[in-house]
This record gives sequence, C-alpha cells and structure tokens, in this order.
Amino acid sequence: MKYLDIIFYKTWADLRAEASRAYIGFLWWFIEPILYMGTFYVLFGLGLRMGGEGFVYFLLCGLIPWKWFSSTISNGSRAIEAGAGMIHQVYLPKVILPTIIVCINTVKFLIILPILMIFLVLSGYGIEVSWLAMPLLIALQLLMVWSLTSFCAALVPFVPDLRYVIENGLLLLMFVSGVFFDIDGLSGTIRTVLYLNPMAVLIDSYREVLLLGSWPGMAGLIYVLSFSIVFAVISWWLLVRFDRRYPKVL
Amino acid sequence: MSDTTVLKLEDVGVRFRRRTSLLRSEWRWAIRHLSFDVKAGETLGVVGRNGAGKSTLLKVLTGILAPDEGKVTRYCDTASLLTINLGFMPHLSGRDNAILSGMLMGLARSDVQARLGEIIEFSELGADIDEPFRTYSAGMKARLGFAISLVADPDIILMDEILGVGDRSFRRKSTEAMREKIRSDKTVVLVSHQEEVLSSVCDRIIWLDNGGMVMEGSTSEVLRGYTAPENQLPGGKAP
Repeated sequence: MKYLDIIFYKTWADLRAEASRAYIGFLWWFIEPILYMGTFYVLFGLGLRMGGEGFVYFLLCGLIPWKWFSSTISNGSRAIEAGAGMIHQVYLPKVILPTIIVCINTVKFLIILPILMIFLVLSGYGIEVSWLAMPLLIALQLLMVWSLTSFCAALVPFVPDLRYVIENGLLLLMFVSGVFFDIDGLSGTIRTVLYLNPMAVLIDSYREVLLLGSWPGMAGLIYVLSFSIVFAVISWWLLVRFDRRYPKVL
Repeated sequence: MSDTTVLKLEDVGVRFRRRTSLLRSEWRWAIRHLSFDVKAGETLGVVGRNGAGKSTLLKVLTGILAPDEGKVTRYCDTASLLTINLGFMPHLSGRDNAILSGMLMGLARSDVQARLGEIIEFSELGADIDEPFRTYSAGMKARLGFAISLVADPDIILMDEILGVGDRSFRRKSTEAMREKIRSDKTVVLVSHQEEVLSSVCDRIIWLDNGGMVMEGSTSEVLRGYTAPENQLPGGKAP
C-alpha cells in the first residue's frame, strides 16, 4: 500500500513538474494532442487527401494508441537505470520505477482519447453502443503496455545495448502494427503473422469500435490478454528475482 | 543498550563482477565472511581504510543489496542510510522530493506532509522549497537532504560520516542534531574516519580491511589497534 502511494505521488509530481516548465503549464496537456491531431488532419484531411475518404480518422485511431505504447516502452525501458541515484541510497522494489512511467503515459493517453472521440463526433461519426467496449480495450492495452515495459526495464540494466534494439524494434513495429494501413486488407499468411503482434490486434479493435461501431473480435482480445499475462508474470518474476542485484550493475 | 538483537549477520559476503576484457570478467568480494550482531540501542562504529568494504556493508544493512553468501536477519522494520544525497530528482521541487524521500524512508505520506514545516525550518529553505531541485546550490541540496534524514526516523540509523554540511552555523546545528540522535537510545551504525568522534559516541567498533573483519570489540581496544602506526602505512598488513 505504501508503495502504491509512492507510485501515485511520483506520477502526479512528475506530471506537475513537466507542466510547470512551460509558460502555459498544464494547458499543454490538451494543446499538444490537439496540435498533434491537427497536423494529421491538415496533412491528410485537407491537404494531401491521400488514402481516400476518412483516412485521417483511420490514422488517428491507430496513432494515438500507438503513441501510448511506444513512448511508454521507450521511456520505461530506461526507468531502472534512470533511478540509479535513488536505488543506491534507499531500498525500493524496482517494479515501482517502470510502473510510474506507465502511469504517467496512461494519464496523457486518457487526456488525448476524449479529445479524439470529440473530434470523431464533430466529424460526423455517431456515438455507438460499441463505445462501451472502450474501457475494456484500454484496460487490456494498459496491461499489455505494463508487461512489456516492465520486461524491457528489467533487462536493460544488465544488457544496456538492448536499448538500441528496443528503439529500432519500436520503429519496425510501428510500420507492421497497421498504423498506416489496414491489415485486414492483406490476405493469407502475412495477415496471420502481422496479427501475432498484440498492438496490431488492439489498433484494429479500436478502429472497429470507434469507426465502424461494431464490437471488437473476442478471439483477438483473448490472444492479447494471454500474451500480456505471460509477459507480466515473466517481468514480475525478473524484477523480484533481481530486485537487490540492480544496484550492483548500475 | 539492551541484549535484543535487531540485525544479525552470519558469514555475509557480497561480490561484484569486474570486467577485465570484452568477454572475460572476474568476481571480486567487496566483503566476505562477516558475522556480527547489532543490538537494540547501541551505537556501533565501523572503521577501515578506503575500499575496505564499509559502504558495501552499509548497503547490505539497509537491504539495498542482498548478500551473495551468508544471511542477514532483520528484527525491525526500517533501517535507512542517513545521507545528504537521497537520490533526489532534479526536475521535482524540493517539497516533492522531500515527500517522496520521506515515503521511501518508510514514513506515510501524511506523516511527511505533517512534518514538512519542520523540514523546511531545519533546512532553512523557506520559500525555495517549491523551486525545482536542480536550481538549488550545493549547500541547499545538502541541507534539504539532512533535514529529511533527520525527520525520517528509521528503527536503525546508518550513517556514513557524521555530516558537517553547509555553512559554519548549519554545520554546528547539523552535527549537534546528529549527536543527539546517537546519544538517544536509537540503534546507530556509524562509519567514520574521525577517531575522536568514534571514541566519544560508539559503544563498540568493527574494523574492516579488504572486506574482512580484522577486529571487533570495545571502542578503545579497536581504536588502539586501528590507529597503531604499523597499521596506518599504505598497504600495511592487518595483524
């Protein structure tokens, strides 16, 4: 319980500190995602008109969950290293460190998401019953993001070189997660292989729910859940196993 | 001092891997075969030359490191290192750092918040407490660290040197506060190079060299051995 309190306090303090560094402070939490979405709107909705009707909405429904995933893993994999100063002075369960990064990025996602949904409604997409599935998708992605971030964070202190692998792996993963194209449009083996990536399943599910107003496919979600549980168990085990070994290698 | 044991070390060893070339590495024992008890309420001194394993020992006592060999048994809740560097986050304010450090040292958030006034007063930071930590001068950082350490009241206090930090008046104030902690019936483990400090506050002293125990015993006895001229030569052999 004490450690939960530390996680929440640190999350809150970091978010506040980030905001206080800019002149208009926490307004940036709203303005930044609006600018981010606006850029794509101008580029694909008004300017280039690439990818056909509704491409910009298709893109945003992929980009926003992707941004949550990639920035959490990218920052979170360095979490234990970044806490080196602290873990040399006081004992704390190392699992706290990546978890704080997950919390910070989740808050940011939870600010962007309603903005996206408002943007969709303003653009003529109706509010569907299927939107009730959103909490389920978010919870599932949260578990998935936590399990992979903790996994990376647990290994990076022992093998610092992994950081480069992770950064480039994320880049590759962005292109095969269906952020920019519809995996359903592909056929055969390649489609099956791409859907082994849980992020591809999730992005497709967000689109089904938000854009098509249909319920997400349960088989895919159960796959993502199993994948996340396996990684969550491995990460937890690693972080507990090496809890008092990290100070030695940092 | 009572006879209650609060911390028990049995044949404790900690080793570090040292890389000698790309693929080769070797283990080096920072401390090894250490066995001793810490009794409730006593002040235990630790002496030894640089690299003798004192800092590693303190990290084992706080639980930051687990022993690779042997066993550490703790019969109390919290054992914290009192230090001026609590691993502060440069981007957070002094206040947030104080609250987080206090929580990490075992206090509940409400307790730290209730005692923030005390921390601000002792550290003499005033309104600067809400400024980001990275803007602090070295003296301000040290004062904040010291004030938090003082307020967080762990069951066992571990100290690496009695810290004289800040300007002359703060140094006097902090040294006095530390001495008061030591004199109280707190359990204290103190690493120091200042023999006059050790001889005035310690009930017992442990002398480390090369990661091993050279001597354990009463303050005067160990200090006599430790300060003997033949043991002060660089590379001098322990008896």
